[in-house]
Amino acid sequence: MPEYIEKYYTLKDLWKSVKKLPSDRKYLAGGTDLVISLSCGNDKSSVWLDISDIDRLKEIKEDGKNIFIGAAVKISELESNPLIKKWASALSECVKYYASPSIRNTATLGGNYANASPCADGVLALAALRAKVMLNLYDKRRVVDILSIVKGPKKIDLKKDELIEGFIVSKEERKSIFMKMMHRKRFGIAKAGLCMCYKLEKGKLRDVSISLSSVAPSVVRAKKTEEYLEGKNPSKAQTKACQLIREEISPLTDIRSTSDYRMRIVSVFLSRALCSI
Amino acid sequence: MKKFKLECEVNGKKVKVEIDSSLRLLDFIRDVLGLKGTKEGCGEGECGACMVLMDGRAVNSCLVMAVQAHQKRIVTIEGIHKHKYGAQLQESFVKEAAVQCGFCTPGFIIAAQEILSKNPKATLDEIKEGLAGNLCRCTGYENIFRAIDKARRKK
Ligand SMILES: Cc1cc2nc3c(=O)[nH]c(=O)nc-3n(C[C@H](O)[C@H](O)[C@H](O)COP(=O)(O)OP(=O)(O)OC[C@H]3O[C@@H](n4cnc5c(N)ncnc54)[C@H](O)[C@@H]3O)c2cc1C
Ligand code: FES
Ligand code: FES
Repeated sequence: MPEYIEKYYTLKDLWKSVKKLPSDRKYLAGGTDLVISLSCGNDKSSVWLDISDIDRLKEIKEDGKNIFIGAAVKISELESNPLIKKWASALSECVKYYASPSIRNTATLGGNYANASPCADGVLALAALRAKVMLNLYDKRRVVDILSIVKGPKKIDLKKDELIEGFIVSKEERKSIFMKMMHRKRFGIAKAGLCMCYKLEKGKLRDVSISLSSVAPSVVRAKKTEEYLEGKNPSKAQTKACQLIREEISPLTDIRSTSDYRMRIVSVFLSRALCSI
Repeated sequence: MKKFKLECEVNGKKVKVEIDSSLRLLDFIRDVLGLKGTKEGCGEGECGACMVLMDGRAVNSCLVMAVQAHQKRIVTIEGIHKHKYGAQLQESFVKEAAVQCGFCTPGFIIAAQEILSKNPKATLDEIKEGLAGNLCRCTGYENIFRAIDKARRKK
């Protein structure tokens, strides 16, 4: 349980004071993961830094080439924001499969990423969008590929105090498909999920990227299948692509599903996605 | 434990109080303000019994820290009647027998308030989608759906 919580409204104030705080400090965004760890007694940090109202982290904006989505943007905002609908529609599509409306009003995209869960719906969409993540440490920024620092469940390569400032998605006219299998129709953790972004030029697939959730220790890309689909007619390539994607993954059996069922879901999802194009 | 000077608005009234920063919004509402209408069911975001409106959006107060309500507007079941649909929903839940033990009812009414204020023409399917985070162990849901649908039609 934290001894206290510091609330910040600007990055400037955060960087000014952060080093003076006790060293077992942690960022608090929406709290949907962190506050539960408090009830379970799992959290041992003494200070939480509430970053959910820092203006910069709530921005969604564009420049010539990219859109920027701040880390404290709530999941519910992804659904109808015009920039996200236009340039990152995979993120808008993930919303209706993501928990319940009230969780979506609280949980942030940055928290979803930081939690590094293999079933994270926001990360699934960001990976298919080939997003980059902007990290900030004491006002020095670095930008890296979205999956490059995700090492496994709850394992993410962030330096001490390094803050996820936001996500960068390049403005590409790609379409997207988001699919998620849960134990019920709504409000559940993924048994498996698939997100695909692509262009269709004269009946041929171009610029395909496919991400998968809950089939590996973190969200992964199906790179061999992506390569195979490049330049192919979607319905003709279906059988081979579904076979390939099964060869690319080796999911575990756990309380949510079995390895075999997860394989089947992924190949059925890909087949449905290709049929729908 | 360091104190936090919390300033917010609860059911239209300004509140200024020093609290332990380790309090969840739910504990603040029930134990500090004594507003017992907001319930704790699961404490994990699954049941919706603890829902309140924060700046007009339904949130699970068991997952929000009280500090996060600083400078925000909170509406609990005790204040919902002042809002469009609020009183109508309460009346409609009674008329349609959408309440048995009543433990889930405050959460359902808060969720319904958000559904209807965002989309006054919500269809039955949209109402069901909007209630994905609310569990009731007594009534069987149909009466709840009907109550919300009727409240919507009356406005
Ligand atoms: C009932 C329930 C249902 C859920 N359903 C789903 C679901 O369907 N799909 C899904 O993907 N997830 C789901 N989740 C998981 C959860 O909602 C997400 O992982 C959420 O997005 C976390 O965001 P948050 O803002 O609440 O994070 P917090 O709880 O505030 O933080 C989580 C972690 O991230 C760190 N952190 C947060 N922001 C930053 C930042 N900007 N920089 C550095 N570190 C940061 C925190 O220190 C903490 O360790 C569910 C959770 C609950 C409780
Ligand atoms: S008590 Fe908060 S969702 Fe169950
Ligand atoms: S009326 Fe008893 S839980 Fe809903």
